[in-house]
Amino acid sequence: MRLEVKELRKNFGEKEVLHGISFSVESGRALGLLGRNGAGKTTTIRILMDVFRANSGSITMDGKAFVPGNYQIGYLPEERGLYPKKRVDEQIIYLAGLRGINYREAKKNMKHWLKRMGVEEYETRKLETLSKGNQQKVQLAQTLVCNPDIIILDEPFSGLDPVNSQILKEVVQEQIDGGKLVIFSSHQMSYVEEFCQDIVIINHGDIVLSGELSEIKRQYGKNRLFLSAADMEPEQLAAQVRESLGELVTVHQVQKRGLVLQLTPQHTKRDVLSALPGLPVDVETFGNYEPSLTDIFVERAGDEA
Amino acid sequence: MKQFLRVLKFELSNYFKNKSFVAVTILLTVLAIGGVAAPTIYQAITGTGEFASESQEQQDQGSQDSQQESQGESRGKLILACDAAMSSLPADIEQLMPGYEWEVITGTKEENIEQVKKQVESGEVHGGFILEDFMTYTYVVENLSMQDSAEQQFSEALKLANRDRFLSEKGVDAAEFELINAQEPQGEQLILGKDSISNYLYTYVMVFILYCLILFYGQMIATSVTTEKSNRAIEILVTSVDSTSLIFGKVLAGAIAGVVQVGLILGGAVLSYRFFGSGWGGILDMLFDIPMASWLTFLVFGLLGYLLYAFLFGMLGALVSKTEDISKSATPVTMIFVVAFILVLVNLSNVDGLLMKVGSYIPFTSCMAMLARISMGGVAVWEIIVSAAILAVSCLAVGWLAAKVFRFGTLMYGNPIKLSKAIKQLKNQN
Repeated sequence: MRLEVKELRKNFGEKEVLHGISFSVESGRALGLLGRNGAGKTTTIRILMDVFRANSGSITMDGKAFVPGNYQIGYLPEERGLYPKKRVDEQIIYLAGLRGINYREAKKNMKHWLKRMGVEEYETRKLETLSKGNQQKVQLAQTLVCNPDIIILDEPFSGLDPVNSQILKEVVQEQIDGGKLVIFSSHQMSYVEEFCQDIVIINHGDIVLSGELSEIKRQYGKNRLFLSAADMEPEQLAAQVRESLGELVTVHQVQKRGLVLQLTPQHTKRDVLSALPGLPVDVETFGNYEPSLTDIFVERAGDEA
Repeated sequence: MKQFLRVLKFELSNYFKNKSFVAVTILLTVLAIGGVAAPTIYQAITGTGEFASESQEQQDQGSQDSQQESQGESRGKLILACDAAMSSLPADIEQLMPGYEWEVITGTKEENIEQVKKQVESGEVHGGFILEDFMTYTYVVENLSMQDSAEQQFSEALKLANRDRFLSEKGVDAAEFELINAQEPQGEQLILGKDSISNYLYTYVMVFILYCLILFYGQMIATSVTTEKSNRAIEILVTSVDSTSLIFGKVLAGAIAGVVQVGLILGGAVLSYRFFGSGWGGILDMLFDIPMASWLTFLVFGLLGYLLYAFLFGMLGALVSKTEDISKSATPVTMIFVVAFILVLVNLSNVDGLLMKVGSYIPFTSCMAMLARISMGGVAVWEIIVSAAILAVSCLAVGWLAAKVFRFGTLMYGNPIKLSKAIKQLKNQN
């Protein structure tokens, strides 16, 4: 399956909050939908789920208009909540039933997912008696109870401790490996880096970056080098580099551990390597720069972006 | 359809698994059955005659019994002040008002007033009557209680005393006149249509039950919708099931729960009266002897009216985010319903009047107005069909609108949204 979103625009009153969002994602791959608070991620997801209607644009699945009701979708909304006063098993089976799963299968799946999430002992308890983290896991169990083909998770890790995050991480990875189409929205870049082959960064309703994560990283690292010194602070090192290597590189970024250097045109890594022995510093690290997703995100969606 | 049935089943289970709902239903049903059967059970235990007959006889013989009782026990002291020329009157009054201890004074008008006031104020007497002539008096009392019947009895006694005095002056024997006067023509009614007097009570009760049912369940549905919104379950719901199935499922579940609850309470009372009602001596026939046509009207118009208001309440529940905002949001609908209820109740004694006729076609009032007209007035079959059709179509239209507003309102958190604004935005979306 290939889900394709083209030129989505959405207005709330007079204000346009999405200015033409486009991306695509395939089964067996996960798309990370990234953006700062209020960027338009949840609105995009709600349009996908037909909670809101877009003012213009299209969503297709394998070339045909995408109708959410025609697919099993496991949706974990940002605004989470179930019935606090109902038993865990009753509400999971009810919600599975609403998505067309018969009682027997719903019960079987419910037991499987509660066990997988480590909350099977709370099956017959009222939801309100569970801790916030366990309620979150119940919510995830109900997301997956319908054995969905498409999984849309809006900030799934919020509220989970590291141990529970690990469980969820494994579950999401299993789903991706199982050929599910996963759309994943999160602020936690480390998780996105682990799961997502593709990313889309939305900023103020516009896509500022999209594509395959490895390629994006490669492009970001292209013609960039990383340099750190054992005997010098990054700021001092930057001054030294500007003075001694100014013709070969520019200082792109001063980080905590060292410097990100940008090669000037016509020069190569080898030129810099040759010039390094003349630099009056104890070089600790020198090599290709491998940007983290956080670096990319901050650069594209930060205040200066 | 499957989704609708699942929502309906789930919502129904919410009612039937609700301990307070079950407890209230059982309690009221037991009270209704027990209350109706109580006189018969009492008689069976004590071996006495008919409770109602006894009480009826007691009422019939009220004055006689009270006379007998009062012979042994004084009801209070009264003072009677009159002109010396009316000297024969006090004796007549005393005879006609037994049970009271009397003090009679004769003097000038001013003296009488002063004396009576003085004795009443001092508490020596319960009250005093100052007679100006045979037909004019003043009752002087310190505090007039609601149970004070002395003046009424005095007025009656004065009337009788004057009548006897007049008959005596004309040479007619008062006892013979009384004998003739006591003869009542024997007549019976052959009612070909409806007896408004005997139908009034059960119609009143039915309208009142409908009023309580709609307000109670309407509020419950609004609360249920708002609760799902406030606990954030709504986004899962609206992405799993279409909003029409959701709102119709909720509203119909409330209707079924209401029918079951009221059915058990009323059915219990009616069956109890049928099997154990003999102890009442027929005095509750006016309440329980309800014709099938009225039951059917109650069921059809009651249900349709309930659905109409329930959809409105559900729609308004979707426009607020907190349960404490519901009453504010629902005020316009509640006001319409309360005004409709009062209008019908006020016009219950004139069910064939223009207001009731018009009201029986307006969806907001027809559920109660048509019920009253069918039970107590003259109404053609076509009128019932037209009224029911208008109400049914209105229900569907409001249900459709409610589903749209519900879908629109469910994810609008924050301040309550006005219904007019929601409808306007819905129009813009389309």
